[in-house]
Amino acid sequence: MKHSLVIKTFSNPLAFAGFVIISIILLLALFAPYLAPYDPDAIDVKAILVSPSSMHLMGTDGLGRDVFSRMLLGARISLLVGIVAVGIATLIGVVLGAISGYYRGWVDVVIMRLVDVMLSIPTFFLILAVIAFLTPSIWNIMIVIGLTSWMGVTRLVRAEFLSLRGREFVMASQTLGAKDARLIFRHLLPNSLTPIIVSSVLGIASAVLIESGLSFLGLGVQAPQASWGNILTDGKEYIQFAWWLSLFPGLAILITVLGYNLLGEGLRDALDPRSSGNASNK
Amino acid sequence: MIKYLLKRLFWMVPLLIGISLVSFLIMHLAPGDITTTEASFNPKASEESRQKLREIYNLDKPVIVQYGLWLKRMVTLDFGRSFASHQRPVFWQKKDEQGNIAKGMIQQALPITLLINVLSLILIIAIALPLGVISAVNQNRPPDRAITLFVFIGFAIPGFWLALMLMYWTGVVHDWLPISGLHSLGSEKMGWLGQIFDSLKHLALPVLISGLTGLAGISLFVRNGMLDVLHQDYITTARAKGLSENTVIYRHALRNALLPLITILGLSIPGLIGGSVIAESIFAIPGMGKLFYDAVLMRDFPVVMGILTIGSALTLVGNLLADVAYAWADPRVRRGVIQ
Repeated sequence: MKHSLVIKTFSNPLAFAGFVIISIILLLALFAPYLAPYDPDAIDVKAILVSPSSMHLMGTDGLGRDVFSRMLLGARISLLVGIVAVGIATLIGVVLGAISGYYRGWVDVVIMRLVDVMLSIPTFFLILAVIAFLTPSIWNIMIVIGLTSWMGVTRLVRAEFLSLRGREFVMASQTLGAKDARLIFRHLLPNSLTPIIVSSVLGIASAVLIESGLSFLGLGVQAPQASWGNILTDGKEYIQFAWWLSLFPGLAILITVLGYNLLGEGLRDALDPRSSGNASNK
Repeated sequence: MIKYLLKRLFWMVPLLIGISLVSFLIMHLAPGDITTTEASFNPKASEESRQKLREIYNLDKPVIVQYGLWLKRMVTLDFGRSFASHQRPVFWQKKDEQGNIAKGMIQQALPITLLINVLSLILIIAIALPLGVISAVNQNRPPDRAITLFVFIGFAIPGFWLALMLMYWTGVVHDWLPISGLHSLGSEKMGWLGQIFDSLKHLALPVLISGLTGLAGISLFVRNGMLDVLHQDYITTARAKGLSENTVIYRHALRNALLPLITILGLSIPGLIGGSVIAESIFAIPGMGKLFYDAVLMRDFPVVMGILTIGSALTLVGNLLADVAYAWADPRVRRGVIQ
């Protein structure tokens, strides 16, 4: 079952492209310190705002720092923030969704109203408001993004649990006297895993976008630590003289988010019997 | 219909209470209390003025009382005065002791953001609708593939980067459009028509940005909605009785595919309002987003809390309008046949 999902996903060229993109970026981020040609924080006053050349692949910024090296280190930050934030959101979402879908009743009502409340506060306002009361740092950003993006997973897990509970194998297990914990961890959760993974992959894409937006506004990852978003802040300042400062970080964000979205949608298509049915109709 | 409306209004009450709780929690996130944060940004703040702040925010009272007072402020839409900006009223105009009327900050910013969002919604519908229909009718053929690729890129493109690139292209390279503010210098001397035209030119880029970033989702939604409908029996019936393909698609399919779009447009409101922060601060448009961003930077808490609450209330009103429009358009919803 798992095996066929992988084959189905990778036979979709777009999903495979997404997988390749993400793998390359993860490898670049992992080996960033070895790949970076310069110290990303080294200031070189003799090479300020140098345009891209063989010496500086992506040029230098307003302090003469090598943009390519900063981009590589920035990849680490973006991916780290994305993955940790989604980890937090998924954990909260799975726990609340499981409780809601398994126990139903008033707990379900309370949790679902909480989801409605969170969804009716404009997300970016909510994130910025929290940051206004805390100090912006990479850890706070992860936590804030995580705490404000669990609602989708909660609804998803709840819906999965609700539909799985009515299935014969679950009822059989329950009739045989299985306890709540066994039902949840042995039957319901493993069978909800694939949609959770899909939503996490798509979640990383949006977390990367949010982080870069926050850092761009100066409320995310703080200088001198490089992030794609805060390189773009410099890009805005020097937009009349240094196009490379804006172009490369933006492209990097675009490609990364595209990669996660392609893979996520590919997985979803492979899971959805209806859409694969359509594909075979053509 | 009235019964439906009342039911929907009644459902908003627990949501509003929830919003007040969440925002109250956020207010108490700051380490220490907000007066210490405020003071740390302003070394001149004396113990005396801190005490005054504590009194204004009732921080000296028990938490339950504080929450009660916060709820009262929310219900009466009284968000006090700004810490910065000459202590202007946050929400609506107020008279000071001399009888001068000071305009409210949100009062001035809100119409601008609403205008941008309404214009970009119109842009989104005008482009996303045909794209989605073309995509669905040509399912898995080249036009669909091209539009799907466009949608994926639209999902992945950071709005602020697109804004920077467009700003560079139209403002720096070509000087076609103004890249900041809402009026040109000396625009007061133009006639009213000239002033409107001048403002529209200033709004072009921000509207384009928030429209383009919202486009992808809506066109994908229209495509999937159309595909669902096109596989229904009544479409086969329509084709079988010999109606032209255009009649089938535009009269029978599209109308039903459009219904859920009303809800989706309602749901996209918080994203649009939230997204205004980036677009407005890049283009220096004095709307809610810019106001909020500046307030966050200056730790102007009354303004932050005021906008957070008004933004959420707007979202609720938007969703309510969407639901009412849906019920008006689809009798099945009104009569409770489908949810």
